[in-house]
Amino acid sequence: MQMAGMKRSRDGPKPQGRADWDSPYIPMFENFRAELDEHHDRREKIIKASRDITASSKKIIFALQRVRNLGEKIPPPLIKSKEYSQHTSTIHERFVSVAPDLKGINAYRYQRQISPGIQEFMEAVLFRHYLETQSILSPSESAKLISENVLLTEDDYVLGLFDMTGELMRYAITQMATNGELPASRTGGRGNILTGLQDLRTKLEALDVSGSYGLSKNAEQKMSTTRTSVEKVENAVYSMTVRGKERPKGWNPGMDTSRPVGEVEG
Amino acid sequence: MAASNIDPAIFEQLQAKIDEEGRIKDELKDIIQQLEKQGRVTQSILSRIHNTPTGQLGPAVFQPCERSILTQIHLVKVLSDIASKHPFYKWNNLWTREMQNLIFCLQLRHWLAHQELETIEQVGNELGVPINVKDRDIFHLTIEEYLLALTNTIDELTRLAPNAVTLGDFSRPLQISKFIKDIHAGFQLLNLKNDTLRRRSDGIKYAVKKVEDVVYDLSLRGLLPKQRSSDDTPAEAKGGAGAPASDMDSDVFLEG
Repeated sequence: MQMAGMKRSRDGPKPQGRADWDSPYIPMFENFRAELDEHHDRREKIIKASRDITASSKKIIFALQRVRNLGEKIPPPLIKSKEYSQHTSTIHERFVSVAPDLKGINAYRYQRQISPGIQEFMEAVLFRHYLETQSILSPSESAKLISENVLLTEDDYVLGLFDMTGELMRYAITQMATNGELPASRTGGRGNILTGLQDLRTKLEALDVSGSYGLSKNAEQKMSTTRTSVEKVENAVYSMTVRGKERPKGWNPGMDTSRPVGEVEG
Repeated sequence: MAASNIDPAIFEQLQAKIDEEGRIKDELKDIIQQLEKQGRVTQSILSRIHNTPTGQLGPAVFQPCERSILTQIHLVKVLSDIASKHPFYKWNNLWTREMQNLIFCLQLRHWLAHQELETIEQVGNELGVPINVKDRDIFHLTIEEYLLALTNTIDELTRLAPNAVTLGDFSRPLQISKFIKDIHAGFQLLNLKNDTLRRRSDGIKYAVKKVEDVVYDLSLRGLLPKQRSSDDTPAEAKGGAGAPASDMDSDVFLEG
């Protein structure tokens, strides 16, 4: 640091040049530097892993959107497809690579850095589980899908769950557009995706998140997105119920506000 | 409601966990508020340094703040016992500001008494709290807290430099100037990221300059007490106060 102001007093009390003046605190600060460098390096490594996990989780969600039948195992060809399996293993590798950095006291020290990845991964995990079973995977079962030593907080689980409702909405709308019917299990026992979404919304609304620091900050905005998602599906199902029989198969309920009815083609 | 397959137990358990978290937060906040209140008492006593002649620091500042600091140390012990039951970094942000303020008070008091930095180890000993713990999940002081407190200490000493002159102590600015420059040299070794510590430490160079300007003003007018030797720390700063004209480096002497 060069500062003109420091040079003015030629009879200055202390030598000004770096060479003939040594701060007695240099060794102390060298220790601090080592500690802070270790911290920053670890932090950056975790941020990178978190980004990779987020990106791969998004790809998996994208692939899952193409599943046709609700309430059945995801078809093996999809699971085994290069795209899907590659992203699954990327996620696994990244979790394993940062697990030692997230041990013990560091679990919460770097929670904010790994959190986005975990939330997106939860979204993928919960989405897949819902497609297969039309139920919600519990936090403890979800935690088992993340590498050992990597903590799944209630916050990340719940925020992932909120985001998953958006995926269910997209899935429902797309399925109605392509098949002309609301996704439901073929056996019919577990209801359809609309009742699932409505129930999920009710349960999320009932959650009092004021006790949680992380959730109290984010949940309100997520809740409003979830409400919108559920209402989109409700409206689409309504349209299909009222007018569906007049529509050719393949009619997209998303179109009806922007296009005159006569133009819609099957 | 139509049939749905969503297990209500999941949400009951989540709610129980969230409520438990809220209880922990309330318990911690309660003690942190007490710490904050006592911290204000200590800081208000310490702020008397700006209008207390150096020779009267003992009765006017050190003795009155002693009891308040001891109360704070006791509260830190209570906090530490509660906090150590929970993940440290989950809750650290609740008390970090109060701990920084307390460390600042200790550093400032130590400097006023000894004109040297109270090390993080000394602070830890004084508070009875471990420092920079990495292998166990317990309450401790972090390096960041110590360094952030140090930037406060520097700000406070920077304010003291001209005030000491007003009170007739012309050697204080020299001591402060040397100290701040030594600390500045230390901070320059750190590879700081774009965070709070970075922003706070960026301010140190202005502190260096501000105190240099005070020293320069004194030197220009021949008001600096004569330098004995560089490591002869004037522990009894009273001796330097109101140094007579014979005690000056007087080739730049202009006006007394």
